[in-house]
Amino acid sequence: MTDNIDFKKYWNKQKIEVPATEELIRKANQFKKKTHLKLIAANLTLLITCIGIGFIWYYYQPEFLTTKIGIILCIIGMLVYLAFHNTLAPLLLKNSIEVDAKTQLQQLLTLKEKQRFQQTTLLNSYFIILSLGIGLYMYEYAARMTLPWAIVSYGIVLFWIGLNAFYFRPKIVEKQQTQLNRLITQLVELNKQLID
Amino acid sequence: MTFDEIHETYWPKVYRQCIGYINDPDAAKDLAQETFVKVWLQLPNFRNESSINTWIFRIAANTCLRQIEKDKRMPKSELPRQIFEDTPANNEPRVQFLYKCISELPEIERIIISLELEELKQKEIAKIVGLSEGNVRVKIYRIKEKLTQKFQQHDR
Repeated sequence: MTDNIDFKKYWNKQKIEVPATEELIRKANQFKKKTHLKLIAANLTLLITCIGIGFIWYYYQPEFLTTKIGIILCIIGMLVYLAFHNTLAPLLLKNSIEVDAKTQLQQLLTLKEKQRFQQTTLLNSYFIILSLGIGLYMYEYAARMTLPWAIVSYGIVLFWIGLNAFYFRPKIVEKQQTQLNRLITQLVELNKQLID
Repeated sequence: MTFDEIHETYWPKVYRQCIGYINDPDAAKDLAQETFVKVWLQLPNFRNESSINTWIFRIAANTCLRQIEKDKRMPKSELPRQIFEDTPANNEPRVQFLYKCISELPEIERIIISLELEELKQKEIAKIVGLSEGNVRVKIYRIKEKLTQKFQQHDR
């Protein structure tokens, strides 16, 4: 038995094959394209929706103030969401991988906490603003319908909003929260290992 | 240095870092590849503020640490031992044992000892992990002590 084990000798004996660079570069390009596409897709979908709603205003010339407020609320809701999404995305992508491990872990922790805020508070307010907007927007058209039809159309919309509010939204939030909380706990743990 | 030269020189070093961290050849290959994808993407922005050595090992260490973001599998220690001992042993037992011991250390210690075994200066290791040089020295000493103990127990 010895106290002086030459770890370096064993360390360097690890078997290694160096792969070709072509596959690597292909992967890198793929990654770059994919992340760009995702961001563009999210922006385009919401922007097109905004333009569509704007077009309705322009084309049908709504008379009620409620309709206009409804449209504005929907657009604001989507734009706020986009603004947050867009400021967070580059951070997620880059989040300087070239800094030292300690700085990186701290940055990651801040980012994840920010994300946790975004996913709950932002999703909730986005949802409330959008529902309110749709409800107000519909009023003008419902007012022109006969009472039973108005009740049916509001009923359907309210059911849809309710389904989202009490079924889909809590599910999404809970899933994201458990994931993020697990990650944040691990990051705090890692940060502890780096206390000088 | 061109990317091909970097890849040629650093792949073995980065791969050893990764396999020291994770002790699973496939996962280590993925991590090393991810590191080089980042190197390739960032290389045009690389300013000689730090040495290329420090720069690459920082990216490698951060890639390993960020593993937790996507790691949905069970941590290795919770899986039955069997799985890992069945993987083809293409290394001699003591080499395997060393890598196994390292991968069982706390994450930051895995990175520090791997860099030390890769013969980086302690000053450089300090720059990579973000600790003071003195602290790195103490940590290396303690980790080596731990490893020696494990080897001694293993030899008994």
